[in-house]
Order: sequence, then structure tokens, then C-alpha cells
Amino acid sequence: MKIKLELFGASRDLSDKNFLEINIKEKSSIKDLRKEIINYVNNKFKGNESFKKIIETSAFCSEDNNIVSDKYKIIKDQKIGIIPPIGGG
Amino acid sequence: MLHAKIVDLTKEKIKPENAEEFIASSKFGASIVFYGTVREDNENKKVTGITYDSHDDLVIKSFKEIYEEADKKLHIKNKSVFIEHVKGYVALGETSIIVAVACPHRSEAYDLSRYIIEEIKKRSPIWKKEHYKNKDSEWLKGNPIQTN
Repeated sequence: MKIKLELFGASRDLSDKNFLEINIKEKSSIKDLRKEIINYVNNKFKGNESFKKIIETSAFCSEDNNIVSDKYKIIKDQKIGIIPPIGGG
Repeated sequence: MLHAKIVDLTKEKIKPENAEEFIASSKFGASIVFYGTVREDNENKKVTGITYDSHDDLVIKSFKEIYEEADKKLHIKNKSVFIEHVKGYVALGETSIIVAVACPHRSEAYDLSRYIIEEIKKRSPIWKKEHYKNKDSEWLKGNPIQTN
């Protein structure tokens, strides 16, 4: 399946675009997606620890704008937002 | 009554008069307008500006949830609330957020204003990239969002 990973905050440094395209296996979960993004960092950024920490501490947002847990099953190609630690105001 | 909006600074400015106009009503005897502005130093670094990023849909959703929770947690039903947060580059001293509230009495207005800004800090997906006098810039660390 193809995931269009929308980037926000510090995760924007992972690409020049606003998103990453990540391929995952059928019936993957958010936990699996997180691993794939870390694999991407290992390959593209030589395992940059700062990027990996961002991914490890991020939440994820489904296409219908709900924060979802690591157990959330991804059943189709879709957009997922990565939500790094926040702090506005 | 709630007004909630992300102001994209590439398209428009954040305007205090919009907040004052929205909350103005003879039903209310107390009004508070909170402004968040860009401060000149952070952790011993000289700040020149901040770029704000936002997940717009989730932010608006969080503003609505915070407003509705005020009914249950603070028992403030009669109120007017205006919340706008910017996205884009904000220079030193300029406004990043306006939280304006109006209630019948001052104690409610103070409680509500404080509750809203503290909850936004904890829950609304907004990020800051600080820019410094030495030309460096960095995303601030922030707090992880809780998942169930």
C-alpha cells in the first residue's frame, strides 16, 4: 500500500516537499509505518539520530483528522499526517 | 459562541479589532483579550522571529473541543470566545495568537482565558521554528501528543 505521509513541524526537514511517499505491506499498523519511516531515515539520512527521535516521539493523524494509536490498522492507500511534539502559542 | 481560525500570514494579517468586535455584547460584563507575541530571547539565544506551522484541521478541531469542555469543566455556559492563531513567519514583537473571551462576570472570564491558552499549548498541533540573530534556526522541541 502507498501512504502519503504529510509532514508538519520538525518532520518537514525530512523532505523538500510537504510529504513523503512510503510503501507499507497490506494490513500494516501505525507501528509498522513508524518503522518504515525510520528505515527511510536510515537509508536517506544515514540514521540521523535527531530525525529518528522526532519519529519515535510523534503521533499520527488519520485521513479523517483523528489522532490514532500505534495499533491503528491501515487498510487502504491513504494520507497520514505525522504529528511531532507540539508547542504553539 | 465561538470563532476559531488559522490565519495564513501569506494571505492576510491577524487583526485585534476582529476579536474585540466579535466578543462585544451588552450581555457580558467582563472581557479579556490575550495576545501571544514573539519574545526577543529564548534559552539565552537572541530571537529575531518565529515561523509557525499548523495542522489546520486538527487545530480547529482542538479549539472547538476546548471551547466545549469549558462548559463541563468550568461550568461557563454563557460566553463568547474568539481564537485565532497564525501560521507563517512572525517577526519580533508581533502577534502569533489572540484569545478573546467575554463572560457575564470577571472571575469566569479570567478562568476561561487561562484555561483556553493552557489547553492550546498542550493539545493543538502547532509548531514553532525559531530564527536567531546569528542566522541559525531550529524547531522547538515541544511536547508529544498523547494517543489512546
